[in-house]
Amino acid sequence: MSADYVLMKGNEAIAEAALRAGCRFYAGYPITPQSEILEYMSSNMQKYGGTFIQGENEIASMSMIWGAAAAGARCMSSSSGPGFDLKQEEISYLSSYNLPCVLVDAMRYGLGDGEITAGQDSYWEAVRGGGHGDSRQLVYAPASVDECVQLTYQAFDKAEEYRNVVIILTDGAISQMIEKCTLPPAKEHDINKFDWTLTGKPLGVKKNKVYNLDHTIGFEAWEKLMRNKFKTMYENEQRWEEFQTDDAEIVLVAIGISSRVCKSAVRQARKEGFKLGLLRPITVWPFPRKAFEKMPKSVEAYVTVEMGMSSQMGEDVLLAMKHQKPFYSYLTTKYIPKAEDIVNFCKDIKAGKVQQTEVF
Amino acid sequence: MAKFAKPESIVNTTEYCGGCGHGIIQRLIAESIEELNLQDKTIGVVDIACSYWSLDALDYDMIAGPHGRLAAVATGIKRVRPEANVYVHSGDGCAYVIGLSETSYAAIRDVPITMIVANNGIFGMTGGQLNLATTLVGDKTVSSKAGRNPDTMGHPVDMLKSFQNYDVEFLARGALYDVKHIEQTKKFIKKGLENQRDGKGFSLIEVLSPCPTNWKLDPVKAMEKIKNENEKIFPVGVYTDRGGVQ
Repeated sequence: MSADYVLMKGNEAIAEAALRAGCRFYAGYPITPQSEILEYMSSNMQKYGGTFIQGENEIASMSMIWGAAAAGARCMSSSSGPGFDLKQEEISYLSSYNLPCVLVDAMRYGLGDGEITAGQDSYWEAVRGGGHGDSRQLVYAPASVDECVQLTYQAFDKAEEYRNVVIILTDGAISQMIEKCTLPPAKEHDINKFDWTLTGKPLGVKKNKVYNLDHTIGFEAWEKLMRNKFKTMYENEQRWEEFQTDDAEIVLVAIGISSRVCKSAVRQARKEGFKLGLLRPITVWPFPRKAFEKMPKSVEAYVTVEMGMSSQMGEDVLLAMKHQKPFYSYLTTKYIPKAEDIVNFCKDIKAGKVQQTEVF
Repeated sequence: MAKFAKPESIVNTTEYCGGCGHGIIQRLIAESIEELNLQDKTIGVVDIACSYWSLDALDYDMIAGPHGRLAAVATGIKRVRPEANVYVHSGDGCAYVIGLSETSYAAIRDVPITMIVANNGIFGMTGGQLNLATTLVGDKTVSSKAGRNPDTMGHPVDMLKSFQNYDVEFLARGALYDVKHIEQTKKFIKKGLENQRDGKGFSLIEVLSPCPTNWKLDPVKAMEKIKNENEKIFPVGVYTDRGGVQ
């Protein structure tokens, strides 16, 4: 029962956690800054008796996962930026076909080719995306290497609980940093555990048909089933961390690398008697709206800190606080924010020098 | 030997158009699987196009893949369940146009699956558009109303010749326009399934198949077109047989 402390890079820790969670099928295509996941899987999957495939492209990799998931395996793929775009078709299908899998999106900055370094502007793609149709994916946003491990390990259970895609949304900083983490015990997953998988079955035994369920149960029943699945995820899976919000005047809202800098900003501000707090969503879909219902009366404004050129998470914050408080975004594009700058931005808000941020 | 009894694996009707070749292909697949006693471990992969109809018609575990990527879906299944008999029933738009990359790389990886591709020279399910790989020069479609012009649309491609560049187990092309050719096609399909059963590599069987609805021909004339025109460009026979002639 000894704890297993190791120093690992975020990407590699995610891959190791997946293997320990019983992931035995990985297919993906290289793209910075997530390629270490693919490389780690290529070196270590065999030890666990699983299959690693470097796909010819993202769509092929996801299609292989489509088959492997339907056959009952715990599956994972990973990508970033333009590579993650290409997974959208299959994300929609997998969630619609009720197939579980875990995907990692290590966000890089910018639209188009952008930069290969950290960004947080693929937020919308992760929380509003999922290809065509209105599917939802459970999206975790880890803020440390250890949290990458814990959330990835759990993600496989959640993917099977809801028979849905689960996304681990990191950024180029979290995925590249090296930190201490605790590795959970390795476990095996039984590919015959579920009754919905493709196995090949004798005559007379009911066969499984993996496609949109509307063919077998009727469209309206299928629609209800889907809506219930997404609604249950929304009700039950909201997770967040609060840091010194009890008496906060301004509450920062941030994920990933930005949330870590925000913690420093809160500590720094409080040394000067300026009451900042941090609300860190751990799930970004479902966005932790429940956390906002419990915020103290002392809160005068909310400030998102995002590595983007326009506020994306702001939309979720405005909905969550029902437009009741002034809203601001501190946006740093491709640069990792600095604690001091965040504190100064909040001081300027207090002094009435900053206009509210328009979310469009 | 011709059989008249319906294979027991066919449990539902389909909605293939009258005279369509997919229904014959589906039956040949079912007959071959039964004759090889592979029903119990069969997993079928179909496209979200015409072959989709066989998903409910056949009494196997079945999955509909993303358009074009059936070879990749089958790869995922086969790697997780190597003991299963995994076959693909695809069209030529799926396997040779949008999914050429996935078909090619399944072949390059020599994944031990059996892939059956209907070559009907047209996009059937979407209403009869040009197929870049297989529409013959001069053939009129709803997206090439004046006929396929090679100057702008290129020539049709014999994909089996392309795949001959890869180290695969078995490549063959059959046709359905008479009993002799149907029997030959079945032999090819069976061989592809046997290869998989025996732990050999990738097998692809292409079948020249009529689409009377979109060719705007009656079923007999559609069969005659295959014999007189399509087969000239796409000759039937074995293209690759790594295991050697029986």
